Amino acid sequence: MAVKFKKTTAIELEHAVIDGVDISGHWSRMFEQRVIFEYTPELIEKITGLPDAESFANCYQCAKCVAVCPVDIVGDYGPRKLYKHAQTGTDLMKSPDLWLCTTCSNCLRVCPKEVNMIKIMPAAREQAILDGNFVPQELQDAFENTAKSGNPLGQPQRKRDAWIQSAGVPVPIIKDLARPVDVLWYVGSYPSYHPRNIAAAVAAARIFSVLGIDFAILGKEEKDDADTQRLAGEKGLFEMMSEYNIQTFNKYEWKEMVVTGPHELNAFKNIYPKFGFEGSVLHYTTFLARYLEQLKPLLKHEVKLKVTYHDPCYLGRHNEEYEAPRKLLEAIPGVELVEMPRNRENGYCCGGGGGGMWMDSFSGQHIKMRLSDKRAMEAASTGANILAVACPFEVTRFEDAVKSTGNEHVGVLDILELLDRSMRGE
Amino acid sequence: MTSGKILIIGGGPAGMEAARCVAELGGEAIVIEKRGRLGGTPDSERYAKLTHHWRDASEAMEELASAVRNSANVEVKYLAEVKGFSGSDGDFTVEIEADGKAETHNVGAVIVATGFQHFDPGRATQYYNYYSFADVITISDLEKMLKENKVVRPSNGETPKRIAFIQCVGSRDRQIGNEYCSKVCCGVASKQAIELREQISDSKVFIFYIDMRMYGYWEPEIYWPAQEKYKVNFVKGVISEVLPKGNQLLIRGEDTTMSRPMEVVMDLVVLSVGMEPSAGTRAVAQQLGIKQNKYGFVEAGGTSGIDPVSTSRPGIFVAGAASGPSDLDDSFAQAGLAAARAVASVRRVMA
Repeated sequence: MAVKFKKTTAIELEHAVIDGVDISGHWSRMFEQRVIFEYTPELIEKITGLPDAESFANCYQCAKCVAVCPVDIVGDYGPRKLYKHAQTGTDLMKSPDLWLCTTCSNCLRVCPKEVNMIKIMPAAREQAILDGNFVPQELQDAFENTAKSGNPLGQPQRKRDAWIQSAGVPVPIIKDLARPVDVLWYVGSYPSYHPRNIAAAVAAARIFSVLGIDFAILGKEEKDDADTQRLAGEKGLFEMMSEYNIQTFNKYEWKEMVVTGPHELNAFKNIYPKFGFEGSVLHYTTFLARYLEQLKPLLKHEVKLKVTYHDPCYLGRHNEEYEAPRKLLEAIPGVELVEMPRNRENGYCCGGGGGGMWMDSFSGQHIKMRLSDKRAMEAASTGANILAVACPFEVTRFEDAVKSTGNEHVGVLDILELLDRSMRGE
Repeated sequence: MTSGKILIIGGGPAGMEAARCVAELGGEAIVIEKRGRLGGTPDSERYAKLTHHWRDASEAMEELASAVRNSANVEVKYLAEVKGFSGSDGDFTVEIEADGKAETHNVGAVIVATGFQHFDPGRATQYYNYYSFADVITISDLEKMLKENKVVRPSNGETPKRIAFIQCVGSRDRQIGNEYCSKVCCGVASKQAIELREQISDSKVFIFYIDMRMYGYWEPEIYWPAQEKYKVNFVKGVISEVLPKGNQLLIRGEDTTMSRPMEVVMDLVVLSVGMEPSAGTRAVAQQLGIKQNKYGFVEAGGTSGIDPVSTSRPGIFVAGAASGPSDLDDSFAQAGLAAARAVASVRRVMA
């Protein structure tokens, strides 16, 4: 009688443990390496044929991007690998890899061939969505929330300015003011709605008020900038939202716009102008750094903390603002600023950009730890008590991360909150 | 008797440029060429386009050749070769046979411009099967087909749709004896890959390499456009076996970027064969008594190491691929320098 024999399928594990027995090493060499039987330039051309994605063709496999890719540092990723995988049979538009990029732009910073993942990823994702390919459910939810409610959190539009009740200072709504203002403050979705992020909005309101700045917010008329949704592939949604926002911005007279979040800065400063928006837009750190001499005497109370600052990708690499946040932190009496090894141009990504904010469960299946966890560990290793941030995405991500990595002793605060503390002495 | 004449051996790019420069400097030159016409390897191997500026090779070579032919200061001897050589710097006696007739000339200096020949792929240690499979060809075979704008699979005359270049055939190889890099093959293969994509728009073209050596401007002029614009596929990992598969060819190697074996089917395999000293270079070096290096090229650089056109004998200079792998830019530059040195040399002895 013939013996039934089932062939083992090939595996490529570096470390394999089966039933507690470590079979790594030469045992696993019994399994054959998969042979490449075909190269698939057509899968590269499928990407390079998309508008704005031409530069994908440029990769000559130097791999400079891989070492600085925040996703590769916690997994197996990087633009070079995406190109090579496309050449050897992987359709990026159907691969989980499509959703892992945070558009942090560190690859582009070092790329000798200017392979621009910031343009390639949105184009490929948009095509995948159009083709009806797999899209992570969490991301779908964020898209739907934005479309339905005007913000990715799915909160009602009428509650967008509810937070001003807790500000303790007047926060004028531009519509009610019915006069031109110096500063239109675009608060942003997370500082408007998220219980943890409201603290930064409140702090900003107090600081603007103490400085005597003539400002107002859009209140219930404010909607999400939707640029992160664009980077995640929803160009149609972005176009709809940006059209509404530009109309709203244009309804009122103001001299400058100040934004709480770097993603909104990037949206209004770099992307909206392509759709007809004109106006000067500043991140709050840049804006407040201008008032540094007026601020200093107001920062009356010592805040004895060792602080490390995390550069948001969209404030730093995308918009080259590295100094203003540091100047503000250094102006606070008692603050000792220490740097993490990866900072400024080479700052590590929190994982929230490019839609990563809404895909933690999905990406968690493809990386060994969240990017925010990695960064929280880096922050803890400096001996800092506080991880200071300047992006609303980061506060909750890092508060979660310090807990999950056993670094609860490190607090996470927006620079606005630190400034407010020093002013009020809490 | 000292002579002001300069003998130039070889009527290829380096020899022609040397003759033109000697004439421009007011010197007198005799060019001896073994073929019945000027132009050298670009002409005899029917090069299609040159790597710089994509100029038609025949047109560019003819431009040089006519300058040489029309120069009052240059005499060209066709179907000619050196038969005997004696004397010293400033006073050499050279016996030649030109078109069946024996001649003797007195010259003051010599420029050796005898060039290279392509590596014979039959000598490769890998199983490339150049002499067994019709569809395994070399870059020079392909160049001729590109010139005619008719690239076919020699086995059946059909247009190839899947074409692979294999780099470093006969170069950088201790066993074969050619330890040097042949310098031009990466650029030539990439140039030909572009021409293939232009001529056969639905083809897939692959270049399998150890490392791409696209020095200087070849990087932005050839390599980058090949990949970015013409979608040529560059795969790191060279092929070590070509096997028959149906009426196609199975190439086997390792994709080193992926650390995975590869076995891919091709219609046409092009061997990027490197450069070796030509038979003429070897013979002339012997007759003139100038040192050759271990690979058979004329040893250049002299004792100073900063004179790339001097040889081991005063009054004898070398230019172009006779002294080692060289592209046309290098050859022209060396030819100009050799001409200047030779003119200076004869003026010194005549003074």
